[in-house]
Amino acid sequence: MTALVRYQSALLLRSQRWLPPVLLYAVLVAVGARAGDPVLDSLGYASAALLPVAAWLARICATQEPPAARQVTAAAAGPARAQLAALLTASGGAVALGVAGNALVVAMSDWRNTSHQVRVDPLPMVVAALLAVLVCASVGTAVGTLCTWPLLRSPGWSVTLTALLALLAVVTVGSPARAVVWGLVSGSRTGAVPVLVLPLVGALGVAAAAAGAACVLSSRRA
Amino acid sequence: MTEVRTRRTGPARMRLTGVGRRYGPVGPWVLRGVDLEVPAGALLRISGANGSGKSTLLRLLAGIGAPSEGRITGRPRTAYVPERFPSALPFTAIGYLTHLGRVHGLPGPVAADRATAWLARFGAEEHAGTQLRELSKGTSQKVAVSQALLAEPELLVLDEAWTGLDAEARAELDLAVGELTSTGARVVYVDHDPRRLAGTVDAAHRVEGTALVPDTTRPPEPAPQVTVLARARAGTPLPAALPEGTHAEVDAAGTARFTVAAAHSDTLLRTLLHADPPWHVRAVREPVADANTPEDMRR
Repeated sequence: MTALVRYQSALLLRSQRWLPPVLLYAVLVAVGARAGDPVLDSLGYASAALLPVAAWLARICATQEPPAARQVTAAAAGPARAQLAALLTASGGAVALGVAGNALVVAMSDWRNTSHQVRVDPLPMVVAALLAVLVCASVGTAVGTLCTWPLLRSPGWSVTLTALLALLAVVTVGSPARAVVWGLVSGSRTGAVPVLVLPLVGALGVAAAAAGAACVLSSRRA
Repeated sequence: MTEVRTRRTGPARMRLTGVGRRYGPVGPWVLRGVDLEVPAGALLRISGANGSGKSTLLRLLAGIGAPSEGRITGRPRTAYVPERFPSALPFTAIGYLTHLGRVHGLPGPVAADRATAWLARFGAEEHAGTQLRELSKGTSQKVAVSQALLAEPELLVLDEAWTGLDAEARAELDLAVGELTSTGARVVYVDHDPRRLAGTVDAAHRVEGTALVPDTTRPPEPAPQVTVLARARAGTPLPAALPEGTHAEVDAAGTARFTVAAAHSDTLLRTLLHADPPWHVRAVREPVADANTPEDMRR
């Protein structure tokens, strides 16, 4: 699996297909989070911005190999493992991007609540920021996986569906991503940092289910 | 999953039982009821018309596609060579091969060494550092073949892997296939040239309709042929003692066209020149080594 992820990562980095989603994330964070803003608000916003970016990365990684190269890799490693490696590469990239983004947000924001009066406890803040990255990257990867080959076969609807599902994942009650984003933003009113573990369990479950379906279908639809 | 993937080494039994494949839950069957045993050390040829499902069968054998029904058991470590290898990968030849070597389970330095060795064997060592997208189709195919061979697979699946290779590289691939089967590895292949590896094939199968049937058609005479054009006075009979297997046709103008295996061409010429009355040799045409290789002409 290490060799596969290394191959897929090299493919992603050298192809420069990572550039548009990374630029989107940079623009979203730059527009929404400013120096001196309340830290929890900005973390919530930046984490929410990560979700569609993670979905985009998952779509890129799932289909970045030309068909014949995919067949070569699938024969060598098994199609399910090859597909899983692509999705792990995407989610790993999204997590790295989210950690960098949230670190930047923490560094430039005001570590106080929305009214700039109550000081935010740093340690829970960092833990909550990391949790939010993991949750949004996982849900985003799941969304991207659902909206591309092998789960979705018609590329015409892929982009529309990804955008729609990513939006729904951020705003729908019950979504793990909404839970962590909402937790950060509402925590900002009082300055109390919510450390939510349950959404992480849910997000990992959703991502695992989507990845599992993709891995099973990768050989059936090859 | 109906497919069992084994990674054990040694002579496991690889077998397809009642294998069928269709694309989508309601699509037409491409293959149905395929039973096939792939013994260790076997060289298997698959033939069939264009679009008959040969490639589908090869992809099932290579584990790229899963059967829609039936089971494939005992598939060992596998490598696959597609007919057309894409150049749209952002790697150098050696970079790609090293990555694939690692995916096949080799340590990085071993993968790089073997990649260099195989590229050299196929006469492409000077392209090791070239970006894949800058390679010619033939050299791309050498990379695809090297990718599979450097893994020393226990099952090698070749989908018209010879297409696009130059004559030397084709011969080298023939040799490599022989070396693999002699070590107990299985090789399954499709090639448009019925003479390809004809002398060493253990079993041949043909895809007919959706079924796989034993292929009993004999490959054509593998020896290269030489054509001799000769003339004699009108009414001269053909010499009596022509070498074995000589094909002769005389046209209305009295020019005879003799076709003979290259090994017997000197005997034929001697017979014609010493015949009484003598024949006048007008032309001797050496055949192209492989008539089905337009790629070579372009190189």
